[in-house]
Amino acid sequence: MIDIEFHLNGEPVRLRCPADRRLLDILREDFGLTAAKPGCAIGRCGACMIWLDDAPANACLLLALRIHGRSVRTYEAVCRDPASQPVRDALAEGGGLQCGYCTPGMVMTLAHLHQLPEPPDAPAARELASANLCRCTGYGGIRRAIERLFEPAEGSAATPIRPCGDPA
Amino acid sequence: MKDARPPLSHAQLVARMRPRPDAAERLAGAPYLTDRQHPEQLFGAILGSPHPHARILSLDLSAARALPGVHCVIAADDVPGCKAFGLRHVDRPVFCAERVRCIGDPIAAVAAETPEQARAALAAIRVEYQPLPLIDDPQAALAPDAIALHGDSNLLHRETHRHGNLAAAIAASQHIVEGEFLTPRQMPTYLETEGGIAEPDGQGGLTLYFGAQNPIGQRQTLAAILALPEERVRVVNGPLGGSYGGKDELTIQPIAALLALHSGRPVRLRLSREESVDLGVKRHPMRIRMKSGCDAGGRLLFRQVEILADTGAYATHGPEILDAAVEHASGPYRYQALSIEARLAYTNNGIAGAFRGFGAVQVQFALERQMDELAALAGLAPDEFRARNLSDLNDRGPLGQVVAPFDGPRLALEQIRQHPLWQGPRRWQDGRWLHGVGMALVQRSDGFSKAGPNGAGLEVALAADGCIEVRTSFTEMGQNLLDVIRILGARHLGCDEARIRPRIGDSASGVDSGPSAASRCTTVLNQLLQRLAPAWRARLQALVGDDGLEPGADGLLDLQGQLRLDYAELAATLEADQLPVERCAFAGEVTPSDNPIAHFVFGACAAVAHVRVDRWTGQVQVLRLSNAGALGPVVSPLGYLGQLEGGLLMGQGMATLEELPMREGRYLARNLDGYFVPTLLDAPQIEVIAIEEVPEGDEIGPRGVGEIGVNIGAPAVANAIAEALQMPVRQLPVSAERVLDHLERQP
Ligand code: FES
Ligand code: FES
Repeated sequence: MIDIEFHLNGEPVRLRCPADRRLLDILREDFGLTAAKPGCAIGRCGACMIWLDDAPANACLLLALRIHGRSVRTYEAVCRDPASQPVRDALAEGGGLQCGYCTPGMVMTLAHLHQLPEPPDAPAARELASANLCRCTGYGGIRRAIERLFEPAEGSAATPIRPCGDPA
Repeated sequence: MKDARPPLSHAQLVARMRPRPDAAERLAGAPYLTDRQHPEQLFGAILGSPHPHARILSLDLSAARALPGVHCVIAADDVPGCKAFGLRHVDRPVFCAERVRCIGDPIAAVAAETPEQARAALAAIRVEYQPLPLIDDPQAALAPDAIALHGDSNLLHRETHRHGNLAAAIAASQHIVEGEFLTPRQMPTYLETEGGIAEPDGQGGLTLYFGAQNPIGQRQTLAAILALPEERVRVVNGPLGGSYGGKDELTIQPIAALLALHSGRPVRLRLSREESVDLGVKRHPMRIRMKSGCDAGGRLLFRQVEILADTGAYATHGPEILDAAVEHASGPYRYQALSIEARLAYTNNGIAGAFRGFGAVQVQFALERQMDELAALAGLAPDEFRARNLSDLNDRGPLGQVVAPFDGPRLALEQIRQHPLWQGPRRWQDGRWLHGVGMALVQRSDGFSKAGPNGAGLEVALAADGCIEVRTSFTEMGQNLLDVIRILGARHLGCDEARIRPRIGDSASGVDSGPSAASRCTTVLNQLLQRLAPAWRARLQALVGDDGLEPGADGLLDLQGQLRLDYAELAATLEADQLPVERCAFAGEVTPSDNPIAHFVFGACAAVAHVRVDRWTGQVQVLRLSNAGALGPVVSPLGYLGQLEGGLLMGQGMATLEELPMREGRYLARNLDGYFVPTLLDAPQIEVIAIEEVPEGDEIGPRGVGEIGVNIGAPAVANAIAEALQMPVRQLPVSAERVLDHLERQP
């Protein structure tokens, strides 16, 4: 058992727990913050995404001892922050969610990228969001959201569908 | 009337989309059933078999029961009612008592105060096993001396269809192709693994909150297992994080319910990804021998198909899936002779069951591959060869049954033939990349076969606040059911969409709409609401005693269209028990032909795919996937587009990536580090075109779009890969390894 202190959604919190307790369990079971989801528990699906000191991280891979003194932000806080509104709107309007189970994690990734001082262009954003799996949408709506949120690639046409059969 | 609207382009569909009704709630982080907590909760855990096939010699629960924090430890003896379940074959034990038949087969379960205590209790359960000979191959399973997993044979089901003189058609064929096709054990991979909470109601009954697709059906089975009257059991099926068919059948709900009843406490039970891989259902791997021939003019003469499918340890939907394979093995084409023979074997290879694409996608891969192979032999382009062999609008269905007249395959094929991607080059090389463009055409059935369960009920009620409740047991799984109910409710009942309040996914409504499966919800809801509308109107008119009034957006309107009485005002004049409720039942779209496995309604898609294959790494990359669906009028553009986009990528996954390997009855991958599903980087530019045209006199309206994306995606991508590599693609997925093997064998 260890005693840890960290900031959770801006509030200082303390907890006594085994050193190897996963942040995902701490959030879901100890604090009742269930927006971060267990999809794989091995860092492969992104459904458990949180921000650790403002950078996206998989809560399933973070042990209690690693978060002592750090700041954790969860989807519960981010989804109430107007700064994430464009991302949420783009997903809702583009059809970027179906069952919605991947959505909190997806928003955590996209909102982080969108709020960077120098956001990536759309192809880079797709690449950076590719650690967030979605099994429902075929990523169609997620691509539409990304196209709306991020600049098209340098020198590329803005139209999503390239000329057909073009071997180039 | 023939509805000959021009097709909707992808851009038009996108422009017509609007956010899902539940988007705001989901985006606010609203909990799923696996997120539910209860102050009194216990944690459940299941002891699964470490052997894929073994006899249980002894089971000792006493040490586990004595551990701190443990409230109950239960096994087969603690099941008060039916000890097994299953849809038509009741062969799956809640707990195995004498024998385990697959890895992870449940033997016992515990409920304890913490997950750690529950795990410690599992470790203290003592079981003695005697391993039995392993049956890990469906062919070996059917050998006469094979040990039977159930009854006296491993042949769970057999189905055949024949017509015409096969020998004569073979003799008359100028070109013949023949091959064996293998399809993978694909996993649904819903991001939310199976789980939820079972909550006792304090009066001997309980509520089960577990994501699934059929609350009323599950309530019935659970009540039988628990030996409770059905009214004592409530089943809530949503919201859930994906299902794709995989959560249609019960898995761990009986165990959760028993733990809750034995402990008297709410019990949360949730499978880890590893446990979900073990216990969840997968797509049936099939071995398909197919032989087809055509005459010198490229007219198909025959198709001969032998299917051997691996159902694993328990039946679940296996027999219906095999039937679907038989019905879809010939496609939307005409033949002089057909011979289809299919067998389904029990093995110790996990459990195969319902999964989007349902038995059809496997044979459609083989069929559409052979259409290309035969076209090449006949010297015809793939599209021309298909066009020459299409069934006619008024032809019988694939099993010779009467079907709803439908021209979808021709319409879809015409769209794709004209598509610029198909009109362009089909094969070229660009440095290390080999490019290929391929196409496919499929039709697939809607709803259940004649054997059912086709019936569906619906209830419409005026609520005290003036909303109109539409009550169905269908479940929202992401398909946008909620908006479909609002759109169709408003269309048929005359009120504003905002007035419609859907009530779904809960057995407490008492309304039995049957399973949210087989791509049927939209079609069935449309029929139900259409049938219910006149009675609803008459009921409202009778309530106000004026049959000159018509239901309108916000209330009853007079002949001039003026609002005379708001729905809320009407409700306010009535006592709670006088509020109008109308029920409707619909027997379903059923073929009049006397064939229990035959369907009445079909939809169709044609698609063109552009892939490039890296000659250095063997990696297949799908660049574009354009689909034309002939699926009747679009109800919800967002749902239509989303279902097809999602289905197409899942079909692509089956063709390029997804395979859950087993060795000796054990999974070689148990998480997403060994089983890969497509990521954002694998997703191609998907285009969806909606052909809304239906034949004159059509009474079906919208066809299902839930599954057909998978059905068309896999063969279209497979054909594009075959074109790029000039490779006889016979096995899915076309992994990098298989590509490199092929390239190495090239001169
Ligand atoms: S649960 Fe953390 S990445 Fe999947
Ligand atoms: S919406 Fe279901 S997993 Fe993404």
